[in-house]
Amino acid sequence: MTAPAGIALSGLSKTFAGRGKRVEALRDVTLACPPGSFTALIGPSGCGKSTILRASLGLEPLDAGRVEIAGQPPPQATAAGITGVAFQDSGLLPWRSVARNIALPLEVLGRDVGPAKGRIRDLIALVGLNGYEDALPGELSGGMRQRVAIARALVSEPRVLFLDEPFGALDQILRRQMNIELQRIWAETGVTTLLVTHGIDEAVFLADRVAVMQANPGRIVEVVEIDLPRPREPSLFSAPHFHALCDRIARVLHGG
Amino acid sequence: MAGDLRRWLPPALLLLAWEVAGRLDLVASGALPALSEILSRLWQDRADYPAHVSATLAASGAGFVIGNALAVLAGLIFVLSPVTERLARGVNIAIFTLPPIAIAPILTLTLDGMTPRIVLAALGVYFVTMQATVTGLRQYDSRAADVVRAYGGGRGAVLRLVRVRGAVPAILSGFRVAAPNAVLGAILAEFGGGGRFGLGAYLLGSLGRGEPDRLWGIGLAATLIAGLSYAVFAVISRRMLGASISLSLNPAGPEPAEGGRTSPLIGLGAVAMPFVLWWVILWAMQVPEMLGKTPWQVFDYLFLADGAPVAQERLLAALAETLPITLAGMGAGLAFAFGLAVAGRLTPTFTRVFLPVAIVTQTMPLVALTPLLVLLLGRGTAVTLWITVSVTFFPAYVMIAQGIAQVPRAALELPRAYGASGWRELRLVTLPASLPWLFAAMRLTAPRALLGVMIAEWLATGRGLGNLLNQSRGYLDFGMIWTVAVVSVMLSVALYLAALWVERLAIRRIGIGPEN
Repeated sequence: MTAPAGIALSGLSKTFAGRGKRVEALRDVTLACPPGSFTALIGPSGCGKSTILRASLGLEPLDAGRVEIAGQPPPQATAAGITGVAFQDSGLLPWRSVARNIALPLEVLGRDVGPAKGRIRDLIALVGLNGYEDALPGELSGGMRQRVAIARALVSEPRVLFLDEPFGALDQILRRQMNIELQRIWAETGVTTLLVTHGIDEAVFLADRVAVMQANPGRIVEVVEIDLPRPREPSLFSAPHFHALCDRIARVLHGG
Repeated sequence: MAGDLRRWLPPALLLLAWEVAGRLDLVASGALPALSEILSRLWQDRADYPAHVSATLAASGAGFVIGNALAVLAGLIFVLSPVTERLARGVNIAIFTLPPIAIAPILTLTLDGMTPRIVLAALGVYFVTMQATVTGLRQYDSRAADVVRAYGGGRGAVLRLVRVRGAVPAILSGFRVAAPNAVLGAILAEFGGGGRFGLGAYLLGSLGRGEPDRLWGIGLAATLIAGLSYAVFAVISRRMLGASISLSLNPAGPEPAEGGRTSPLIGLGAVAMPFVLWWVILWAMQVPEMLGKTPWQVFDYLFLADGAPVAQERLLAALAETLPITLAGMGAGLAFAFGLAVAGRLTPTFTRVFLPVAIVTQTMPLVALTPLLVLLLGRGTAVTLWITVSVTFFPAYVMIAQGIAQVPRAALELPRAYGASGWRELRLVTLPASLPWLFAAMRLTAPRALLGVMIAEWLATGRGLGNLLNQSRGYLDFGMIWTVAVVSVMLSVALYLAALWVERLAIRRIGIGPEN
């Protein structure tokens, strides 16, 4: 894996106009994610956290502000294969096997799939889906599909990883399990990660820093440093210090 | 076992009743022969069938391939460039609504050999497949498309990797619905066009001989071919789908294809396009002027020429006969369908018994069904009405039942949870929910109603537009043949647009409705 690269968001603003009223989705959002860091974006629904992620990937036009990924604007960075992404919905193509779904970003980037076969096999093992290479998405459970999406996000050997509530649709138990796996993957690859979530415990467990957002207008109100030592064990979920951090974020979320 | 018995008993009893009634000549003094009599006649005639069946298969197969190829191509173009779709709207509606029987004489007079049959078969499949292609390409998984775009993929990459393959199930189901249409188109052209071979020609040759069992045999053979063509594509699409069912949470909604904001210029173009196309085709094919009438010549025939008043009078007299019965038949068919769908909601058993019979009558090509109904019902108004009902009720029923089935379970159960009776629940939830679908059904069945009436008039009652067309064909009155064809297509389009207008109005009032 090549050296990780950072994300720099400065002054992002966006207003949606619809049905007679204007919604200020983002107002002057500035955030810097240093190379190799893990940042979580947390906030209530409609606070614009997904808009930030989509704008960072060039999927959503902005009214003002600048996004730089490894020093490049989104279209260049994405087309160069610097980024990887997984959304809340796995977005798998139902007619492609697990292995061919994982290969999709390579095809879009115009890279050869042949030489990546071994790497795809390793990724399938990494997300714990050995033996499911040729399964179709319809034959998998929701959690397994989400793991395929994570593997797909890593296939292009990204230096920056964007995750938009990738475990949002999973149940609590599965979610914990996936959090632990994600931490392992992040530690192994060292990829700069921006995770959008609405789970406080998930954000605290995984991130170096949690950026807390509020809605109307969508903005970052505080960035909370998470100074828990790594690697973080599952037992952390019941530690007092962990809960103190969660409570603090909850207070910021509720405008305390 | 008991479940099997319950399922098979009603059809078995029905077959038995048919056999008894046929053997004893109970229905219309022998017009309905027993199934065994029909089958034994089929066996006697077995030497005749291969030539006729293969001629029909060849024409409908060629038409199916050509029509579908054009339809998929057109669908792709419409999705890539919505302006072209709006421009082609007039042509599309005309092709969808045109009663095949109205243009069959023109085709058989201006084209030779197998061509008219192929053209009519192709016209029969075009709209269904085109629409299915457009829908399939528009309703794709937006999340999967996001993934492609997130790696720098453009419109082309999304189309190639997500949308085209995603549209395959929709296109296949289009093929499935279109396949019997191709058979119907080919038989209609055979029927109206002479020629020695083809089931339509066979039917025409046997019509005057008063042999119900042979007519039934031909009808059965035609039904079988149409049904098999449907079944083949049903099997293929099931194979193709396999486990690759859609699993998206978030398919992109169909873009509003027909907004109210079409510019007047494009609207004008859409209206002009069918006429321009008509002109261009005549010119390109070098049809002799005596046979091929341009839009201007038809106008001249009807309004300016010496015989114009007479032509007008005959046309209006025919319209005065055709139009009322079309509307009456459509109304009856829709009411029947609506009652059936509601009855099916209250008593599922009823649907189970009735539906198989209905499906068989629907698969039977209309031209084959009509002589049989004439045998059963005579040549009066009743037969026209019955034919019209039979062509309209089934699509309407499917549509309305689909609407009822889409009412969320929770919405259905809510009145029940407060102790409401079945009727009350029906009145509060099911009926309002199915109304928009009733209007959509009206739009879809209006052209079919006109087709049914014209076929009945041509074959049975000797009245109205259908008869005028048949007569003019006999007198080689080309001006009138073209006029009737044009007028009936326009009438069909007008009925369609009127139904569309009512539907839009209703949807605006009720606030819900089917998507297209």
